[in-house]
Amino acid sequence: MNQDAAPPAPSALSVSDRKSEFVPVSGGQETTSAVGLLLTAYVLMWAVVFGFVWLTAGKQKRLDARLRDVEKALARLDETSTEA
Amino acid sequence: MSVASSTSASSVSSGGRLAAGPAWGFALLATTMGFAFHLWFIFTKTPEAQAAAGGFAQKIFYFHVPSAYALYLSGVVCFVASCLYLLRPTNARDAWAKAGAETAVVFGLMVLTSGPLWAKKAWGVYWTWDPRLTTLLLSVLLYLAMVLLRRFTGDGNAERRFAAAFGVLGTTLLPIIHYSVRLWGGNHPTVVTKGGGGLGSAAMSQALGMGFVTMTALAVVLLLLRARVALSESRLREAEELAYGLGVLGADDEAPGERSPS
Repeated sequence: MNQDAAPPAPSALSVSDRKSEFVPVSGGQETTSAVGLLLTAYVLMWAVVFGFVWLTAGKQKRLDARLRDVEKALARLDETSTEA
Repeated sequence: MSVASSTSASSVSSGGRLAAGPAWGFALLATTMGFAFHLWFIFTKTPEAQAAAGGFAQKIFYFHVPSAYALYLSGVVCFVASCLYLLRPTNARDAWAKAGAETAVVFGLMVLTSGPLWAKKAWGVYWTWDPRLTTLLLSVLLYLAMVLLRRFTGDGNAERRFAAAFGVLGTTLLPIIHYSVRLWGGNHPTVVTKGGGGLGSAAMSQALGMGFVTMTALAVVLLLLRARVALSESRLREAEELAYGLGVLGADDEAPGERSPS
């Protein structure tokens, strides 16, 4: 395809052209919303941080449960030794 | 699992305790307020950049670059702690190495989610196999491998040493990431490094500086949080092993080495 030639009007494209190539009709600028991208980036970044903190809180909770088990076991041992 | 085989890591010394209390609360409050002020500053005081830099989407930069810096910081913590662990193993050194790798993954994910979204506006594509992007991805994958290794294998001395070796290896990639643009070129901007044009407004520089301060605070908070949890877990495991050895914990209790990874 000749790079210097002006892009054909959309109506001039045949069905096979539409299947095999995409031609920009308005200069080919990026049309994705900057606000949308910015918002998505900020939400995802903070989701990563809060997700990590949430996972840490869950881990801490499981550690607390294990600690309670050890404390109960030690209390039982203490009671047994006092009775003896 | 027998007591003897599950106590392979208990030969290491416990190491120090990590600070807690009012200072911890103050650090959390200061970090939260810092981020709130930073966001306010970005959206009210910082001008929009030129269209070629992404226009309004360029404001991702004020979190994207400090996140990359926080990744370096976490990587350095992981590297130093891993080296020290390999020299003389302690629970505290292992906890810091583990925390460094985990926070490096978190900041790496922040960089890898924010960067492509900004790139979509500035470059027109979400991803390109640019040297800096590729080396960063490799580095994050290496830290992720270290985290998964610790998550799904045991907590014996051999696993810890292997993970420490990973921690050292992962951090050797960081200077390569930093200098990759200078070494191999690529699409990635070099605005704030040597040879770059710099930031065109004082408010832009201030917003970036604020980003570095707040992200450092966040990195310190997350590192302390995870190191405390990792150290508590090590000490608890030692206490459980001791309790099993004394016959205090019964057969109905789950053995420390047989617990599902947490």
